[in-house]
Amino acid sequence: MRMFTAARPRTPVRTIRRVLSVVFWYAVLLLMAVVTVFPLLWIVLTSLKGPEDPIFSVPPQFLPTDPSLNSYGRVLDTLPVGSFFANSILVSVSVTILSTLICALAAFPLAKMRFRGRDPIFYLLLATLIVPVQLTYIPSFVLAVQVFHYYDTILALILPSVASAFNIFLLRQAFKSVPDELLDAARIDGASELRIWWSVLLPVVRPSLAAVGIFTFVVSWNDFLWPSLMLHTRENMTLPVGLAALQGLFSSDFRSIAAGVAMTVIPILIFFIAVQRQFVRGLAGAVKG
Amino acid sequence: MAIESRPLPPGRGRLWPGLRRMSPRLDPYLFLAPALLLVAIFVIYPIGTVIYYSFTDFDLITEPQWVGLENYTRLLDDPTFWKALTNSLIYLIATPTLIVLSIGLAIVVNRRLPGIGLFRALYYVPAVSGSIAIGISWRWLFDRNGFVNSILVSLGILDRPVQWLSEPDFVLPIAILLTVWAGVGYYAVIFLAGLQNVPEELYDAAEIDGANSLQKHWHVSIPALRPQITFVAIISSLAALKVFDEIYVLTNRTGGILDSGVTIVFYLWKQAFTLSNAGYASAIAMALLVITLAFSVGYVRVLERRFET
Amino acid sequence: MNLRRIYFILVVVALVAAACTGPGASASPSTAASAGASTSTNPEAVIDGVEEGAEITFWTFFLSPTFDEYIEDTIARFEETYPGVTVNWEDHQATFLDDYRGAIRTNSQPDVANLSNNEGWVREFAEAGKLLNLSENLPQDVIDQYFPNLFMDSVVDGASYQVPWYQAVPVEIVNTQIFEDAGLSVADFPTEFVGIPQLCQTIKDETGKLCDIRLTVSDYLAQMTYEGGVDVMSEDGSAFTFDSPEAVEWLQTYVDMVAAETVDRAALTTADDRVALELFTSGEAPFYQTGPQLIREVKDSNPDLYEQLAIAPFPIGRSGVIQPTSQGIAVRADTEFPNASMALAVFFTNAISQLEFSKIVAVYPSTPESYEDPFFSEEPELVEDSARPLAFDLISQAENILPTIPNKADVNEIVRRAVEEAIFNGADPQQALSDGVAQANELL
Repeated sequence: MRMFTAARPRTPVRTIRRVLSVVFWYAVLLLMAVVTVFPLLWIVLTSLKGPEDPIFSVPPQFLPTDPSLNSYGRVLDTLPVGSFFANSILVSVSVTILSTLICALAAFPLAKMRFRGRDPIFYLLLATLIVPVQLTYIPSFVLAVQVFHYYDTILALILPSVASAFNIFLLRQAFKSVPDELLDAARIDGASELRIWWSVLLPVVRPSLAAVGIFTFVVSWNDFLWPSLMLHTRENMTLPVGLAALQGLFSSDFRSIAAGVAMTVIPILIFFIAVQRQFVRGLAGAVKG
Repeated sequence: MAIESRPLPPGRGRLWPGLRRMSPRLDPYLFLAPALLLVAIFVIYPIGTVIYYSFTDFDLITEPQWVGLENYTRLLDDPTFWKALTNSLIYLIATPTLIVLSIGLAIVVNRRLPGIGLFRALYYVPAVSGSIAIGISWRWLFDRNGFVNSILVSLGILDRPVQWLSEPDFVLPIAILLTVWAGVGYYAVIFLAGLQNVPEELYDAAEIDGANSLQKHWHVSIPALRPQITFVAIISSLAALKVFDEIYVLTNRTGGILDSGVTIVFYLWKQAFTLSNAGYASAIAMALLVITLAFSVGYVRVLERRFET
Repeated sequence: MNLRRIYFILVVVALVAAACTGPGASASPSTAASAGASTSTNPEAVIDGVEEGAEITFWTFFLSPTFDEYIEDTIARFEETYPGVTVNWEDHQATFLDDYRGAIRTNSQPDVANLSNNEGWVREFAEAGKLLNLSENLPQDVIDQYFPNLFMDSVVDGASYQVPWYQAVPVEIVNTQIFEDAGLSVADFPTEFVGIPQLCQTIKDETGKLCDIRLTVSDYLAQMTYEGGVDVMSEDGSAFTFDSPEAVEWLQTYVDMVAAETVDRAALTTADDRVALELFTSGEAPFYQTGPQLIREVKDSNPDLYEQLAIAPFPIGRSGVIQPTSQGIAVRADTEFPNASMALAVFFTNAISQLEFSKIVAVYPSTPESYEDPFFSEEPELVEDSARPLAFDLISQAENILPTIPNKADVNEIVRRAVEEAIFNGADPQQALSDGVAQANELL
């Protein structure tokens, strides 16, 4: 029950308090930003340090007095950083598109059709969610080497990641919320189920599709363990595996390692800042669904 | 609303309109086929195979040799395995820490200040950079020649630099810290979305009742975030049990002195893919499955109870 | 006291500029192979039945990019000697062991590979049945061209699975500045391992600097055997015995040094070599055990320190034997081209090839014939070459006294845990080692 609807009187004390409050919150935000960004900032600064700049000093020296891009050159000469990016993009985009489509295909009958075995299949898929994926790596490794012979190729990273019970589950939730009438109307008009799926159902759940796509992309982009098992030749490595190889190669040369990390993180950050609004919205939307 | 309730002209409602009725419903199975095939190959088959491998001695190339329960008895006597188990359970501390800090961050950034969008993006940077890049950065932060030592020696807290990641007591805490630091921004987004759905009136009502900021959040925000808290709790705890990347990078593939950083998944990887004991590693994988199962069943019980109220 | 792995020597070797000594491609004139000569008249062609059109992969350890020219020239000479064979060469560095194990797991093991003997790599893979038995498959006159103790360096069940390649002479590189500050001279360096703890104590007391010692974490049993004089297995191979009094004494030495704070325990047990190396090149460590080639690297990164360096002979362990610091070349057991692979292995390790290699970097051949070249009787000018006249004697006396150890990698993990328990957790060395023996025996 609001009793006061009029604006409160503006006294000087209130204004000062408001200003202080704003300053306070900005300070807090800034402090947290520093904490968040600092390790990466330090890496970037180190990567720019020349041979004269000490890495370890008391007190710590942040800015390079002898800046140089030598470290970047050294890394680029030794490692195919461009290939790392290309491979990561290829894998992540492929997995995202394939997974979204195939899981959306699978989610449709689970959400909207009645048929024999629907419930057992659904619970089976749910049960696989419990199994940690790392458990499957040993047999998948053997499959990759001895059966499918796609060891050290991009295919080895794409195929196993496409079928995701998690995605199927999310999309089934999304499909369930679509009114049946919409689908039946299309059926009356003589559309095939596939057509209905593509032209009627998918457009309606586009936000969920986007969320699933974004989520799948991020997971695929950052995946490390399985790619590290599969990829051996440097030119075939994805970004995380390439970075780990960088660490092994330049083991004591911190400037070069810093350059390598900076080279891989900065483009990602630029890309992220460009699309961050959609990204954040998509991620938040995924939780509600 | 059942689909069959409306009579359809013959041939309609099929995958291909021209196709005559071959069997009652073929298309559900056709839709499911690609996904189910992949799941069968990459999930079902591996689960069965791992169970089999766990009873064998297998080096990933030559034929597995049946050894019965030997791997499991070896597991029980293996101090590293128990250490791994302990470490994985300790790692669970990350979850409540993450929840508290993420909610805090979400509350802080849930206000209309100019430039707040930039800050929100900034807090998300660790999550986007990838665990390996971040792991390498942290490894060097704590190196003997790293920033942490610079600061501590400058402040006089230390006489000489310490190789932090070579000290068994520090490996796991640093790894957990890394996970929390990298995850706060990620989970804060989820809480932020939840907070933005909380109606203003609830806060106003609390204010009228005389609540200050802190009490407002405790009595309004937190209860409103319950579904998100549950979600984050489940996701992050299951992730904590399966930690690998951070350990791999921070301990340079060794797991740390005295296996101080070894987690279950790391031990699985080490046994299978560095020591070529894939049979033994499969037994470890089974242990992991049991633990994950226990947690999942526990969560389902808790959730069921929640929804009943 | 720790035996520097060849890894380090290779790091050094890889970093050293080849400028100082003559061009690397000069073959010994008397046996130069003429281009296109048929196999039968080329004295370097010693293996018969080399497969036509063979294509073999060859991995080296940490030799690129410094020795690209040498390797490529030698491969070219090889391909002339055995026409029709193509060699695909790859160099692997810090991740060599992981890469090699991974290659085995994925059925892409290289036909010929440069494996370290003293790191225990040859033994590990020979014991797993992945390497070709060279005692059986090489002609006797080829085997005879090597020092016998080096050919039999990594023996499994009485047979050799590698041909020895270049050797390093382990020495102690001493920072004379720190020694002077501690009131010591290079001559005071202990000749035996038992004198090391006292040396470190003196240095710590006088200068506050810690000894920069690192255990061979990939092969603890080898270090125990040479340094501690320990018998790690029973005669008949039925049980492990690395909890014997000698072993306990060896471990206790290190535990005491850590307790007295004369060594840095993190540097002692780290798997990462560079920690110890960096300490030395930054001038923080009094001595460093490796091959003399390291000195050149110090000259590059810390010229002031270079002026302070001297070489002391490597202290002998309780076993009284020096472990060979040896690189070998091994052949894949199930290779498609056994003769071509053996030919390559033998070619790179023959007297001519090894002599050329020695002229461009301070490593030493495993073939006695190479030492007859006047190069080895020249007076050394630079401090890093001062080991050269001694090389022949040291190398011919080095001996491998390790038993064949089944499941070596797993046993090493057990020993590692026992050592770390004693050093970091204050466990009683006897207890830790006995627990380790019990666990290891279960693997037998």
